[in-house]
Amino acid sequence: MNDSLFSQLSTLGSSVVLLFGITLLWRRSLRAYTGAFQWQSAVLAAMFVIIGYFGHDPELYFVAVFFGILKVFILPRYLERMEKRFGGQRESQPYVNVATSLILAGLLVLLAYAITRPLVLVSALPTRGGLPLAMGLIFVGLFVVITRKKALTQIVGFLVMENGIALLAVLGTFGIPLIVELGVFLDVLMGFLVMQVFVYHIHGTFESIDVDQLNELKH
Amino acid sequence: MTFFLLLLPPVLAALLAFLVRPYRSFVGWINALLSLVSLGAALTFAMQAIAGGEAPTWGLALDSLGLVDVLRADSLSALLMVCVTAVASLTLFLSPGLGRPVKTPHWGDLAYGEAQLRRYHIFVNLFIAAMLLAVSANNVGVMWIAVEATTVFSAFIIPLKLNKASIEASWKYILIGSVGIALAFAGTVLGYFDFVTLSGRAENALNWTVLLGIAPALHPEVMRLAFVLLLVGYGTKAGIAPMHTWKPDAYGESPAPLTALMSSALFAVAMYAILRWKVVADATLGSGSYTNNLLIALGLLSLVVAAFSVVLATNYKRMLAFSSIEHTGLMCLGFALGPLGTFAALLHLVNHTAAKSLMFFLVDNIEHKYRSPLIADTRGLLKALPWTGALFAAGLMILIGLPPGGIFVSEFALFRAGFALNHPWLMGAALALLAVVFVSFINHLNKMLYGAPSEDVNRDVPPEHLTWRIALLLISVAVLVTLGLTLPAPLAALLNQSVEIISKP
Repeated sequence: MNDSLFSQLSTLGSSVVLLFGITLLWRRSLRAYTGAFQWQSAVLAAMFVIIGYFGHDPELYFVAVFFGILKVFILPRYLERMEKRFGGQRESQPYVNVATSLILAGLLVLLAYAITRPLVLVSALPTRGGLPLAMGLIFVGLFVVITRKKALTQIVGFLVMENGIALLAVLGTFGIPLIVELGVFLDVLMGFLVMQVFVYHIHGTFESIDVDQLNELKH
Repeated sequence: MTFFLLLLPPVLAALLAFLVRPYRSFVGWINALLSLVSLGAALTFAMQAIAGGEAPTWGLALDSLGLVDVLRADSLSALLMVCVTAVASLTLFLSPGLGRPVKTPHWGDLAYGEAQLRRYHIFVNLFIAAMLLAVSANNVGVMWIAVEATTVFSAFIIPLKLNKASIEASWKYILIGSVGIALAFAGTVLGYFDFVTLSGRAENALNWTVLLGIAPALHPEVMRLAFVLLLVGYGTKAGIAPMHTWKPDAYGESPAPLTALMSSALFAVAMYAILRWKVVADATLGSGSYTNNLLIALGLLSLVVAAFSVVLATNYKRMLAFSSIEHTGLMCLGFALGPLGTFAALLHLVNHTAAKSLMFFLVDNIEHKYRSPLIADTRGLLKALPWTGALFAAGLMILIGLPPGGIFVSEFALFRAGFALNHPWLMGAALALLAVVFVSFINHLNKMLYGAPSEDVNRDVPPEHLTWRIALLLISVAVLVTLGLTLPAPLAALLNQSVEIISKP
């Protein structure tokens, strides 16, 4: 009983997390990007708690708190600040249009199902149903990074991809060892801060945060 | 304790640079001297490894934290430690802000201000500390954290001078690097996933030694997927084609001493991470054929990309970056060619570390004199900078594999291993691509060395004499030539032991 509830909850949660990732593909404003990322992180933090509860692993409560503080409060605050600064700029013309993006995202999730088949087969965890969704989210995040033109949306794409990896880790292993988890959080935070600094630099020198202006370096 | 002597000096150096504000040149000197402590520790580890016995480990016996045996120094780690610390010392002695005047108004946009020097010295030391942690970590999770940290720290100093080109380069570098390294983390998670599936959760399961112990029982299908992600991820950091696109930009725009570190030490560290995982993957899959085929495919692609880009290069820093991609490709091939090839590739790694760092230190001098990164603007190098010009020519000859340079020997050994394993077509193709690189390098070098320097050269740079800076670089060349003439016994022992670790049956 408990196991089937656990399994249903984890699959449901993973689906919601993936859906927030796909939202990025049809929303244009930077605010919508930040919102989607924030909600996605909140659901993901809740997933940590659920898996910690059913999997009897109190360590995950810690991780959920850290994760929540970092990705639901700190990072979105910085994102909002940048958005206020560059808010007039919308992701108006990504390299791939919305309809095509959504179809490609569907294909990416199918691909994720195909390549994670061995994982689902070897695992006996009740959470294994969500593994393909986590892999799908990684691909969707990667897709956003590759196809969007604004430096800011690329950052959100990268953060979504990292959420996908966090989801993969918690579903597949009930959380990686705490010390590694903390190190990863620190890296994410520092990496984000550096990228943030660069967005300001890019804006300051190119007077736009369109990365397709970054085309000086050839040969 | 030796681990502390290895890892703490760069952290202390960064702290010192952080605390002294504004930058003073004594900070640079103390940093350089501290790096010698790390070098000593690395050599101690190397000697311990050569003497044999259990590899020294360090950790906290707090089970719940997963810090048991978190650091470990076997022969392979020791080899990398020596490479990284040697280049780090050289870099810190040749860094800006140590003797060269801090402010010379005539140098225009090439002179660094005090704030920039301070930032440089903080982050270059943190960068070194992260690389050393990566090669001494036994826990593959910690290794990942350290490699990711190298991206962050180096991204702070690539745009030491803010301009369009340097910002573009560092944006590409940090974005491509972070995405790549995130994929490597997904691979690490999958490795851990398989472990957990098999034998339940364990805090030390991410320790390489533990992982290797259980590897034969892991699921091959999962490991295949994990290895692809790891190869793509760490391969991005190493600059293996097709994940190399950040490399010419970042090398072209960074301050030359940082490039020296990135092209030699950072590259070696990324390659090392791939090797560690290759050992685990091979143990799981029962043979090396899967990982070897992947490495051969990417290695050959790197050679192709490098050969054609070198022909078209117009910028000497980017030209050297393409040469890095070429050597990356060669090493990938070597690591896929059994124990003989692995030995050759490791020797090549050592040679490349010495040669490439030498080249970028020389580039630093050339940049100051000519104020242009273009090959076309750099005529008359031998007249304008006799010592640098001669060393640059010598270094380039060594780099393209002419005897008596060390690279000649390691390339020769590599090709012999390939032919011995019956890969005549592969080796033939690689040789042809190497020939293309060879010819175009000679061509570019000719343009740079001879003729009369143009009128725009920096008259404020005094005529060049044999200073201690040049003497340090002469030592580099001497090391490379020595490696071309003979293989010192301690190095041979270290290499052989490392080969044993990598190509465990």
